[in-house]
Amino acid sequence: MNGHTNHDRTIWVGSHDAHTLDAVSAVNPRRRRRIPGIAAAVGAAIALSACATDAPQDTWQPAGENAQKIHDLQWPVFLTAGIVGVLVFGLLAVTVLRFRDKGQSMPEQTHGKPVIEYLFIAIPAVILAAIAIPTVGVVMALADTDDTECVINVTGQQWWWEYDYEVEDDGTICGFAPTAAEAAPIVTSGQLVIPADTKVLLRGTSRDVIHSYWIPRLNGKRDMVPGRVHYLRLSSETPGIYAGQCTEFCGLSHANMRMETIVLEPDHFQQWLDNELEPYTSPEEGTLAAAGESTFITQCSRCHQVNGLVDDRGTDDPDDDTLVVSYPDQFVYSGAAPNLTNLMGRNTFAGATFDLLTDECRADVWEADPEVFGERYLAGVTEDCLNEIELREWLRNSPAKKPMYADAEMLTETDGKTRGMPYLALSEDQIDELIAYLLERK
Amino acid sequence: MFTTGAKLLLGATVASLAGTVAYGVLAEGTMGTIGLVSATVALATLAGIVIFTRDANVFADEPDTFDGAAANAARPGASMWPFALGLAVTTMTLGLVTYPAIFILGAILFVAGIAEWILQAWSERASADASHNAEVRSRLAYTAEMPVAAAIGLGIVIYSFSRVMLGVPSKTSTIVAFSIVATIVLIVGAIVGANRSITAPKITALFAVAGVALIGGGAVSGLNGERHMHEYETTAYFAEKDECGAEKTYADKHASQTVAGKAGSVEVILNPDGRLVHRKPGDEVDRVGAMQLPRSNPNNLLFRNETNEDRRLVIDLAPDYEGSPPRICSMLVEPGGVQWLTVNFAVPSFAPEITEIGGYRFQVPGVDSADLEVVVP
Repeated sequence: MNGHTNHDRTIWVGSHDAHTLDAVSAVNPRRRRRIPGIAAAVGAAIALSACATDAPQDTWQPAGENAQKIHDLQWPVFLTAGIVGVLVFGLLAVTVLRFRDKGQSMPEQTHGKPVIEYLFIAIPAVILAAIAIPTVGVVMALADTDDTECVINVTGQQWWWEYDYEVEDDGTICGFAPTAAEAAPIVTSGQLVIPADTKVLLRGTSRDVIHSYWIPRLNGKRDMVPGRVHYLRLSSETPGIYAGQCTEFCGLSHANMRMETIVLEPDHFQQWLDNELEPYTSPEEGTLAAAGESTFITQCSRCHQVNGLVDDRGTDDPDDDTLVVSYPDQFVYSGAAPNLTNLMGRNTFAGATFDLLTDECRADVWEADPEVFGERYLAGVTEDCLNEIELREWLRNSPAKKPMYADAEMLTETDGKTRGMPYLALSEDQIDELIAYLLERK
Repeated sequence: MFTTGAKLLLGATVASLAGTVAYGVLAEGTMGTIGLVSATVALATLAGIVIFTRDANVFADEPDTFDGAAANAARPGASMWPFALGLAVTTMTLGLVTYPAIFILGAILFVAGIAEWILQAWSERASADASHNAEVRSRLAYTAEMPVAAAIGLGIVIYSFSRVMLGVPSKTSTIVAFSIVATIVLIVGAIVGANRSITAPKITALFAVAGVALIGGGAVSGLNGERHMHEYETTAYFAEKDECGAEKTYADKHASQTVAGKAGSVEVILNPDGRLVHRKPGDEVDRVGAMQLPRSNPNNLLFRNETNEDRRLVIDLAPDYEGSPPRICSMLVEPGGVQWLTVNFAVPSFAPEITEIGGYRFQVPGVDSADLEVVVP
């Protein structure tokens, strides 16, 4: 290209460049007319996405005290940021369009404008200070856990969450005394069940890598770090299911590490608690479930605990019965596998990734009004409602269903231990037996 | 067309071919035939090369050929890279029979030598002007050489500095020595900054002296070795040696003073009454009942001794379980002191091997009232 420089402006001359520019400007008007349309379509798509109703992880629909505090803060912050953004980009657009090069002479060049410079420092400082004051207040309020009414330990591992309920010094769990049984720690996974109107303190850590616990409608997120104990307050007045997912990349199935918090009315929570503490009952002899119990002991109990399960095979003497204790630390890198004592009391399995309920039954629970939610949730998984297809697929080949590092031979760095559930080569008969057995675990 | 050498080789090829045919037909020896065929092919190849290159003869009546002949090409400049490559091969060989690190060093030298030699050879053909060729080489080579040289130089300075710091007899004298050095650097810098007439050679000399002093100091300190640093035993060591009684043992008193130790840890406190209580993050309340901790997880606990005597925290784990030691304990903690103890419960409290020993219990040797049950679900 040919050209000469006049101060800071470059004036282009020459037939080739002039033709090129003419050609571009000849095409541009048509394209330019499309730009507002495209921009409007993109903007509308983004704006309409905010109207989604099936959005269980929406921070703009708070359902808990702390989530409400965050929500009350994020509104003015987003509003302020939006106004600032519109002003900045608007002024930028005006400047670009109005003062673009149209061949006019160079305006007078000056250096420095103290009034403007002071304003440009003062205005952001005032805005940031105005945002910082309520933000710090909310951060401190979120960290306040002095009035805790219930403590639940949360432990993350690849790729599921374990919950164990602490027994308080007075023998209660979350302030509820068991009706029949003696209070004992309850261990469950995937779904965290809490009583409504109760200030719950989650005390969390991790067994392998850093995970992050987040139920958007109940509170902000909290990292769960190996070797440390972090805590998080959850509470809600409204019974229902509140979904969340791990928000710290934690390996292959990070996207499948989900969790749900179940809020139950106090009387429903009492029922759930009593049910969890009920003694183990063996399946009726001669049934498919009884065969499943035997299969479970041989195939699953190395890693999965079912509280109260005894191995009485090969003996009629009750004194020879052996309590079945799992040893997942021998086989799994994280050292843990989900406790399956009351599996069918939950709605989901495999790190809350898959539903234990069919679509229709799931909708009955998930979309239930708060008044009837507790009853429907406590009904658990019935034979008619069991999502047998996915459970069967899982038992048939779990690594094919959920990506996991399940081939021990390829995991030299973990000393041959798997990350996640391995392929067990179960026969179809064994799967039938296990499903029958697990269906009774509630 | 055919040079003397070409004629010789062609004749030899034909003779070999004839001999091959004769031997193959008359002697019927496979190996001999193969050998003669190979010789024929080799001679034919050599004959072809000699014909193609005209036996490297340059005829006086062919000036173009003379100008382009290899013999007329400019001599390559002096190069240290063949020597460096020889050294690299020797180093690699030495590394093969000694240490991998020496082999890696030789390999790095080999790759660098090859690259530099290729670059030099390429740049010497860039033009007939040697100074231009040198500039071409520098322009390309400096992009890699300068950062590498800077990194090596910086590494030498840092390594020398660290050797000097570790060689000073005590931490206190390290602080004193380097405060003096820092002051000298500040004063010299101020003088140099204030003196506008100082010349570049003087500054260069100053840096050279400082560099030699630093590297020399580092070398001397490195040869003398590091000062004595006490290696503290770990709780795992105590567990292995079964030294969890009231005997005196020493561990790093500062181990619990890390950021990780001061936040997000469960505390087990031996209070002045001789009772064990626990305090967990989130509620900050001293609890006397059983403490619940997750299984198969390295639980970091802070043991705080609020009594007037040295005490340690002890817990019995699964005696017959291969995944954990039978007993683990903290170091002996002074009055008012705090110490880490990491406990990993391999099996739950209800496992038969744990119920047989009365469950998991934190205890303090010499204090009978100190007993805290741990529930591992």
